[in-house]
Amino acid sequence: MSELVLETEKLDKVYKLGGRQVRALSDVNIQVKKGDFISIMGPSGSGKTTLLNMLGCLDKPTYGKVVLDGVNITKVPEKGLFKIRKYKIGFVFQTFNLMPYLNAIENVELPMEGTKKSGDEKRKRAHELLKMVGLSEREEHRQHLLSAGEQQRVAIARALANNPAIVLADEPTGNLDSKTGYEIVRLLGKLNIDQGTTIIMVTHDSRIAACAGRMLFLSDGRLLAKEKQGTHLMEKVLTCPYCGKEIQPDDAFCPRCGKEV
Amino acid sequence: MFVKVNNLGVLTRAVRNVSRRKMRAFLVIVALGFSMAIMISIPAGIVANQEATQGMTKNLASTISSMQEEINKTTTLIEVSASSGRGTSISIPFGMPSGTPPSGFEQKEVFTNETVGDEIRTIEGVKDVVPFLEKSSNETTSQTIDTPRGSFTISRPLYTITGVSLNSSFIDSYSVLPTDITAGRALQEGDSGVVLMSSNLTDYYGVGVGDTIEIYGESFTIVGIYEPTSQGRTEGREVYMNISDAQTVTDNVGNVSRFDVYAEDVSYVDGIAEVIKAAYSDLYVTTYEDRLANLENMQERYTQSLDNAESTLAQTQATATEEIIVAVAATSLIVLFVMLYTVRERTKEIGILKAIGFSNWNIMSQFMLEGILISIIAGVVGVAIGSIGAPILTSLLLPRVNLFSGSSGRFQLGFGSVNPGTTGSTTTTASLTPDLILLAFGAAMLLGALGSLYPAWRASRTSPMEALRYE
Repeated sequence: MSELVLETEKLDKVYKLGGRQVRALSDVNIQVKKGDFISIMGPSGSGKTTLLNMLGCLDKPTYGKVVLDGVNITKVPEKGLFKIRKYKIGFVFQTFNLMPYLNAIENVELPMEGTKKSGDEKRKRAHELLKMVGLSEREEHRQHLLSAGEQQRVAIARALANNPAIVLADEPTGNLDSKTGYEIVRLLGKLNIDQGTTIIMVTHDSRIAACAGRMLFLSDGRLLAKEKQGTHLMEKVLTCPYCGKEIQPDDAFCPRCGKEV
Repeated sequence: MFVKVNNLGVLTRAVRNVSRRKMRAFLVIVALGFSMAIMISIPAGIVANQEATQGMTKNLASTISSMQEEINKTTTLIEVSASSGRGTSISIPFGMPSGTPPSGFEQKEVFTNETVGDEIRTIEGVKDVVPFLEKSSNETTSQTIDTPRGSFTISRPLYTITGVSLNSSFIDSYSVLPTDITAGRALQEGDSGVVLMSSNLTDYYGVGVGDTIEIYGESFTIVGIYEPTSQGRTEGREVYMNISDAQTVTDNVGNVSRFDVYAEDVSYVDGIAEVIKAAYSDLYVTTYEDRLANLENMQERYTQSLDNAESTLAQTQATATEEIIVAVAATSLIVLFVMLYTVRERTKEIGILKAIGFSNWNIMSQFMLEGILISIIAGVVGVAIGSIGAPILTSLLLPRVNLFSGSSGRFQLGFGSVNPGTTGSTTTTASLTPDLILLAFGAAMLLGALGSLYPAWRASRTSPMEALRYE
């Protein structure tokens, strides 16, 4: 049995909003093994992002615990959390969140600032990562010169900079067209298979969610008992939603009906 | 505890962040630059004022002490003059509107008959009577005089001609001629058609010993040049010649301006003075005691003026302190508000940086460095503005220190005069010293750090989750 990378136990989050209590998460228990590619699905307001914030040390649960790579992060004082975020977690955001005043390679180097790596080592690592996400030619480009898909690739490379135990992706395809979205999720899948990167991806898009190895469902802050085995994008056959013809992930238009897919 | 900061990375990012909003950075830097310029110009102005006051005090002290010496040497001298004052003095009433040439600025030259000297010599106890003829040159020069009410341009005689009785016993016994000869020789008995000139006049003409100059249409050969001292008797441009030459050339045959009457002994002085006063009511008689009283009077006025100057200086310093405090506060506040705005504007960026593992210290040092960087650039701008505009800034911001602000606007030095426009007021030329420039950079760094401390601290305390949600 693979080792556990992440485990939550009876995770509760209660917000106080104008004097009334809102339960955003309730009794969430998740176990993530090394090398898992998990998607968490749910409608808006189901608590997906709240859960991801708990897992990513951005927020503390009201009750319960989160154990990441053997460390109970709910017990780590605020001052020490940055180390967990730096070394154990890689974030991928819906809006990419690159620094506009840095070019691609500098953005990838950013999380390595303050680590023991020398300048050359940082540059070498960033170079490798950008090559891995297929952006070797775009290293010197700043955000405004990169397409949305390219920006998200840079963000993925940045998330991997310190070789984290887990990558947390919050709606990584939310700001992308469906074709680019598939490319991105395919890249995540490839990293998962080739590098063994553990990934948790939050999405409300069932087609994207289905690309993961395992699908969890969240509704009103509760993890539903049903858990689906994902098709994993690497093995999935894509079809045109209009005519049913098999299409390739790179296709922008259906080769038969010509509609945008 | 804290993760070591990769300084190069932080600095590079600080530079890029500052240059991201170019117009804002420019405006902030110019505003801060002016504050810095004020901060460094004011101390420069104060130092200049202090130095000027100290210089003045020193000069006046030395003038008074040498005059005292001179007076002490001439206890037996009774000055008998046809006019009340000596030299060309200028009186400018303070209430006069700017631009109006003051009336009566030209000294009226009064003469008396030289036979009066012969009569004085017969008074009991008189040892010698030395006649002098003093006459303004026919050439004139214009001079601008600054007063608190404005500037006046007036025409003054270029120099004074002093005709001296070249009797060798007079020359040897009394100080009838300047002694500080720098070229050629002094005048001597029997000289005629020759002159002894002050170096400031030979410099003015560009002439030397052996050259000839024209005075009232007559040619004179320069036999000697002397260095005028800064006090009374030999101040200004002067030409010394034989009294008979002076009388002839200025058309004053038989006339003299004054007599230096020497008594056999100090005990005769009062008696002689009384006799002269009784016999010649139109002549002005000054004895050792009068001169001493004058000097004391002058000393008193100097002391008063210096006290005034010192109190003005104290006021100036108080004003300067207030202005510096305002400038310091303004600088810190500008940095504070700009950095607060920057932190607010970049809230999301702070959230991202925190999410990818930046510590509170990393965030804080980032924003503080940006604040300090802006301030240091502003320091450079401030030094640049200060080095060009320090005199203007100080004259705008500091009250003017005027050492001589008596009601008459004039000081009679007994043997001459000090003109308020030329030597009376301090020239406060504020200039930046390396010390001040260093101070400016130190202040820039400190104020940058001070002003950005709170915004940076606030940035570091931002919750990453809330910051990420910020749009």
